[in-house]
Amino acid sequence: MLFSASKLSFLLMAPKPQRIRHMVGTTWQSAMKKARTMSTDDTETDSSMKDAFSKYADYLNNINDKRERVVKASRDITMNSKKVIFQVHRMSKQNKEEVLDKAVNDLKAVTDQYLSRLVKELQGTDFWKLRRAYSPGVQEYVEAATLCNFCKTGTLLTLDEINATLLPLSDPSVEPLQINILDYMLGLADLTGELMRLAIGQISEGELDFAEKICSFVREIYRNLTLIAPEMDDSSDMKQKMETMLQSVMKIENACFSVHVRGSEYIPLLGSADTSYPLLGMLDIE
Amino acid sequence: MLSAFRNTCTTLCSHHFLNPKPYFPLFLISTQNISLPNSTSLSKPRYWHSTFFSMTSGADSPNLSSEKLEKQFEDFRVRLEESGNLKERIRAVATEIDSVTRLIYASLLLVHQSRPVAEVIEKAKSQIGVLKELYSRLSEIVSECPGQYYRYHGDWKSETQTVVSLLAFMHWLETGTLVLHSEVEEKLGLTPTEFGLDVDDYLIGICFMSNELPRYVVNQVTAGDYDCPRKVLKFLTDLHAAFRMLNLRNDFLRKKFDGMKYDLRKVEEVFYDVKIRGLAANGDSAGAKQAQGQS
Repeated sequence: MLFSASKLSFLLMAPKPQRIRHMVGTTWQSAMKKARTMSTDDTETDSSMKDAFSKYADYLNNINDKRERVVKASRDITMNSKKVIFQVHRMSKQNKEEVLDKAVNDLKAVTDQYLSRLVKELQGTDFWKLRRAYSPGVQEYVEAATLCNFCKTGTLLTLDEINATLLPLSDPSVEPLQINILDYMLGLADLTGELMRLAIGQISEGELDFAEKICSFVREIYRNLTLIAPEMDDSSDMKQKMETMLQSVMKIENACFSVHVRGSEYIPLLGSADTSYPLLGMLDIE
Repeated sequence: MLSAFRNTCTTLCSHHFLNPKPYFPLFLISTQNISLPNSTSLSKPRYWHSTFFSMTSGADSPNLSSEKLEKQFEDFRVRLEESGNLKERIRAVATEIDSVTRLIYASLLLVHQSRPVAEVIEKAKSQIGVLKELYSRLSEIVSECPGQYYRYHGDWKSETQTVVSLLAFMHWLETGTLVLHSEVEEKLGLTPTEFGLDVDDYLIGICFMSNELPRYVVNQVTAGDYDCPRKVLKFLTDLHAAFRMLNLRNDFLRKKFDGMKYDLRKVEEVFYDVKIRGLAANGDSAGAKQAQGQS
């Protein structure tokens, strides 16, 4: 009965105003009666349709709820991975070890607390179905993990190495969460942006050899990604990232170039921790 | 005169700019062309150059790590190439599905020219076997990468939605009822465990079918079938009510569902036009007379 009532209210709402004017009187009433009689006409087909649709409704509710949970987890991963990245940027000559250790610990906490939430949601085909929901978080996580690792060891953390750290998150009965190549590559593309900031910060600190190292590392990544980026499933996103990446690489190269060309002017910086610059006064001219 | 002076000043400043701020190298870049010809700054950097590189090359063996890096990317390239090939094969089958659906659609369009339904359906049905065969090929390709159904789903989903809409229209012409999700899977020979029909695709396909009904009603009435609007209106009203049970997201399905009410309204208008002129009552359908008697 509820069903036919909702149907009636729809019939009442649907027609244009001028149609209601036409329909006043007997025709309208009979149309309403008709709608009512029709809905009881063959309830059999009606209910089979309803049964089927309540199944679809359950399915949609489930997948939508799950998607919502994955999006939330992804946001938490993004937020906390960003914090790890900021922590890495606090690195300086004096506190390098200490800062990086904290970053690594924070990253471990992200893995255990937030990334673990994805494991049970992304079983079976849901891993690819919900990729758009979790991809941003995972990319940010890859960025944070590779950045930490580069600062500690000077090498690239490979996908297999990241995935190995994710294995303990799930018990053997379920499929383990493994980051896919696409998200890893997108994360790497973002990593160069962070490395650019890091390189420029390091130059200001006087850590020129570290900046040079970043420069050659980033170049390698860019070169390798150039080869395979067009092969990706959906390369439009990557295409844009490749352009930004080239910008970052060039910024680092130009910074290194500047230091290189005007190296002589860095004596006070390199020679001592003395931060009084006799020439700083010149700035006042501007 | 003044600006020339200022320019030299900035060049000079940047030259001796030692403030270690993040934007500092960018500032230098902008003036690099001016400072390059300076002969004194050319001779000295060479010294610094050598120190930098002796420092970096002395650090942990960069050759080994770059080898590892290259190996990983080589591995990626192979894997991405494989998935690219798979994608191409899927696309090839999807294109074939597309051309078969066009054949079916073209034969189904004859119902608008008041050809007998049985004859029209007969012709369209002859193609279903071909579709079944194509879907089994698709299923085979996708089974090569278990669990990745949705990775490639985008490559066949719009074709599948069309297939659903055609099957649903045929089924409705035959039986006057809605084809169910499981029935479509059965018709196409799909098994939910291996290669099922995505529920979203099914529902979108049903919405496409609803778009076809207003035209059908108009042409049927023109051809003299005055009972048709009543049947279609009932079917669409029920279908619309059933769709309203779903909690939809703001996606394509939602958009298609929102469009369904215009189909419903169009059919209502046709029904009204027929009804008000008493055409439905004069129609030779028993159903119309029965309904008339009840009201």
